[in-house]
Parts: sequence; C-alpha cells; structure tokens
Amino acid sequence: MINTIAYGLTIGAILYIISIGLSLTFGTMRIVNFAHGFVYTIGAYLLISSLPFVRDNFFLGAVLAVAAVIPISYVVERFVIRKLYGVSIDYAIIATYAVVLIGVDSIKWIWGASPIPLSDPIGKDISLFSVVLPMYRVLIIVLALVIFGALTVFFKKTIVGKIVTASLEDKDAVKSLGINVDKYFSIVFVIGSCLAALGGVLYAPITSVHPYMGMMVLLISFAVVLVGGLGNIKGTFVSAFVLGLVMAITGRYWGPAAETMVFVVMGIVLIFKPVEV
Amino acid sequence: METARTDLTKRNIWRALDIPIIIAGFLVILPILGINRTTDFAIFCIFVLAFNILYGFMGRLSFGHMLYLGTGAYTVTLFSEHVSGNPLLAILAALAAGALIGVVLGPIIVRTTGACFALINLAFCQVGHFLVLVAFSRYTGGEDGMSAYFSKLPFLDFGNKAVVFGFVLFCLVLAYFFLKKFTASPYGVLIKSIKENETRVKFLGYNTFNYKWITFIISTTVSAFAGALSILNYGYVTPSFIDPSRAVEVIFAALIGGSGSLYGSIIGGVVYMAISNYLASYIPRWEMFLGFALLIVVFRFRTGVWGFITGLFARRRDALAR
Repeated sequence: MINTIAYGLTIGAILYIISIGLSLTFGTMRIVNFAHGFVYTIGAYLLISSLPFVRDNFFLGAVLAVAAVIPISYVVERFVIRKLYGVSIDYAIIATYAVVLIGVDSIKWIWGASPIPLSDPIGKDISLFSVVLPMYRVLIIVLALVIFGALTVFFKKTIVGKIVTASLEDKDAVKSLGINVDKYFSIVFVIGSCLAALGGVLYAPITSVHPYMGMMVLLISFAVVLVGGLGNIKGTFVSAFVLGLVMAITGRYWGPAAETMVFVVMGIVLIFKPVEV
Repeated sequence: METARTDLTKRNIWRALDIPIIIAGFLVILPILGINRTTDFAIFCIFVLAFNILYGFMGRLSFGHMLYLGTGAYTVTLFSEHVSGNPLLAILAALAAGALIGVVLGPIIVRTTGACFALINLAFCQVGHFLVLVAFSRYTGGEDGMSAYFSKLPFLDFGNKAVVFGFVLFCLVLAYFFLKKFTASPYGVLIKSIKENETRVKFLGYNTFNYKWITFIISTTVSAFAGALSILNYGYVTPSFIDPSRAVEVIFAALIGGSGSLYGSIIGGVVYMAISNYLASYIPRWEMFLGFALLIVVFRFRTGVWGFITGLFARRRDALAR
C-alpha cells in the first residue's frame, strides 16, 4: 500500500509540473492550450535525441531538452497564441488543437510512430520506512516540491510574478497602469511550456515515448486544473497530488480504470463547484 | 399566383428550394462516389447538423460529441442483439438513449461555458470510451466491436444498399427540416441570443438553463440518430465510434461549412468527408495538412465556405445595386 501511495505521489508530482503551465495560460489568457500536450511530448523526444550527445547523462539530456523547448514554445506563442488574445474561446481551442496535429505529425515524420522505451536513469533503490522505492521516483517528488517552492517565491517576490498574479485577478486594471500584460503572459507561457517539457522528460523513463502520449496527459492535466481552480497555483498543487493518488489507488485495484476515475472525480467536483469561465 | 411569384426573389428561391437542392446534390454525387460512400457522407452530415445546433447556434463547443454518436451506435447494436431485430425499433431505442444521455449529463454539462464545456464533454467521452472498450467489453466486444443483425422488414429491406441510401437521405432531410423549423422559431432566436449574451437573456426573465438543457438534449438525440444510421449502413460497431480523439472531425466539418448555418453544416460535412476519404490516400502527411487548414480557417475564413460564398454574393449584390 505504501508503494501505491508513493507511486501516486510520483504521478502527482509529474502532473503538478505539467499542469502548472496549463493553469497559468488558462487563468491569465482564458485559453485552453491543447499545444501544451504537444510540448510535453516533444520534451520527451528531445530527451531521446539529446542523450547520445551527452554520453547518456540523463541530467544533461534533460537540461538540453528543456532548453530546446524554449524556441519551440516561443514560436507557438508568437504565431498562434498571441493572435488569439480576446478572440472567441472556441477558435483558441481549435487553433491550439491544429498546432497539436501539426506537431504530432512532425514527430511522426522525424522520429517515427513506434513507441521508444527508456530505462530508469538512476536505477538505484532507496529504502524509506522499511519500503524499497526507486530513487528516481523519490527524486521526482522532491523536484516537484522544489518547483512549487520556487514558483511560490517567483509569484510573491519577483516583479514579473507580481504582475502576473495581479493580471490573474484583474487584467484590465493592470493594463491601465501602463503595463504591457501580453509581454509578461508570453514569459509565463514559455515558463509553463518548459515545465510541461520537463514533465515529459521525467515521465519518459516511467512509460514509453510515443507521438500520442501527450493527449491523455493533457486531459488529466485539464482535470487537475479544473479541480484545483483556474490560475490557482496552490489549488493546482493540491489537486495534482490528490488526483495522482486517485490514479494510483484505482490502478492498483483495476488497472484500465485509472485514468477514467480522474474524470469521474472531476465530474463530481464540477457538480458541486461549477467553474465560471 | 402572381403575388407569390413576386415574393420569390433570388434569396427566397434558395430558401424555399433548400430541401430539393440537398436531395439533388446528393443524387449528383451518388454516381461519382458510389452508394456506400454517399450514404456515409449523408450520415456524417446529420452528425454535423446535430453538432452545429450546439456550436453554431448556441455557441457551445463540445469536444466530446463522439460520445453521443457512439451512444446511438451501441444502442442500436445491443438492441438488435438482445431485444428485437427490427431496425426501426432499434433506431427508436437509439433516439431514446441519446435523449436519455442528454437528460442525465445535461445538468452537469450545460452549466459551464467555453473551455469547460468543451473539456467536460471530452472527459465524459473518455469515460464512455473506457466503458465500451474495457468495462463492458463482455457485452460490447471490446476492441473488436460487434456485428449488428437486423431482421428483414416487408417494406424496407436494409440489406439492399439502395434502400439504405434512400432511407438515410430521407432521414437527413427530416433532420434538416426539423432543425430548420427549430432554429427559425422564437426558441431558435432565444438560443442564438444565449450565444450572443447570456446575461442579457437572463435579464429578460428567461431561465436560460432550461433552454440550454433542451437544446443539448436535441443535439445528443440527433447525434445518436446519426450513430444509429451508421450501424444500419456498416452493420458493425467498434469503439472508434466513441473515440475521443475523433472529436475534431465534426468540429472541422462545422468550421469549414461555417458555423451557425444548417446549409453550411451539410456542405462542411461533404467537404470534410471528401478531404478525409481522398486526401489521406494522396497526401501522406495529411494530419499536418489538416492542422494548417484549420489554422487558415481560424485566422482567415472564420465564416467557413458557406459564409464565404454568401458573403461573396452579398458583395456582388451590393456592387450591382450601386
């Protein structure tokens, strides 16, 4: 059972890392960003491509992959997302979905459609409370906590973070202070995309890498964001870990139902707490 | 007679002859595409109509409409296997199932708008896909799907493809006629007003929740109808009928045709089916092509093909008037 909980916390940690960017774009721009799932996938693929250059050093590969996502996410932001500010939300959904179609097809073109397996980069186990856990998973949980702490500081202490937090509350008021909100949104968008790519990189050794891996994760991240509250940084953190545990515990008893259970929980939450968008 | 003729200006002729034009259009493409494909096209058009009632008229984009199509498809198949082989009764059962799923899920779904509406539909579609693929695979045949066998009716033999085609075309016209009357009624005006500004409609004293719920039920029912007809045509149901990743097909079709127009839905349905049937065999990277096409539609032709054509005619008329 402790193993299951630990697994749930690992999934929760990865979900948190992926969802935070989604929550921010959702909260600031009111855009449902399907391209987020594509960024997640391309992160994992870039890791695979960069590993041979760094002599299979996972850490360096991960850094390279996340860094390589910055220009990609900037292009997506500059040519698609930025044109969607203030446009009807349906067009935003469709346009970002189109980005996913183009992106996934490019991945199939470059890397092929068949799944690529990756092995656990650390391979050592750690014993905690008389339970043996893979070191890698414990590190992921620690990393998520570090990112949570760093983001909290970022949004509370830095000027960029403060502007974004204020725009989450009231975009027009911030604009009227003469601040170019869109510029800060694109910074947030790139940060969020990098975190999504990081999530893909971290999740790659746990499952296999394939072109459509982003779709399911994206749906679950949406559930995380909706349950946690749009643009709510703490809420996303809590709901990611709760839903991660839901997945792990359901998966323990009935494997195929793990993902579906997340949506059931989301449905129940939405019945009692309708989201106003 | 004379006064009636003067009433028929160019615009009104199109309005009055829409149903003959739809029938004629399908009869024209029938020899080009063959009977199976044309039937398929017509069924897809019914699905696009159902989707467009929600999207084009009420302004709610659903990303999980395959769920309602699949509900109809699976209901027909299971009904024909366990209850009765009468195809007409099976279609009625599918309509009832479609209405039921709308009644049950409606209160949760229609309270949301925009992105949440799209995603909750998608989430439910995912749950439905799981149910038929894994949870109830003993009854639905899981990934392999299952065949549907219908008994012969004395007056309608659905083993004959020409009869199926005629029946589907009749159903398309029926759905079109019903939805045309529906959208032209005061009720239709009301749901269009909800699209424009729901708060104001509420302010006028309407309980918008009920109107949205009923529109949602109509959309799910007609979608289930389309699903039922596809089984009549294929005779086989697989989980791909309820696959969430196929949701984009109907959205794309509605967008090409131009949302908010029933004519447009039918044009969009035919154009999309033509693209997906023929383009995929000529262009290997057709997903990428579809992606760029979607981006172009979103950024350049928001009104779709039908909107573009009507816009062109309107501009020409203005030029002539001047």
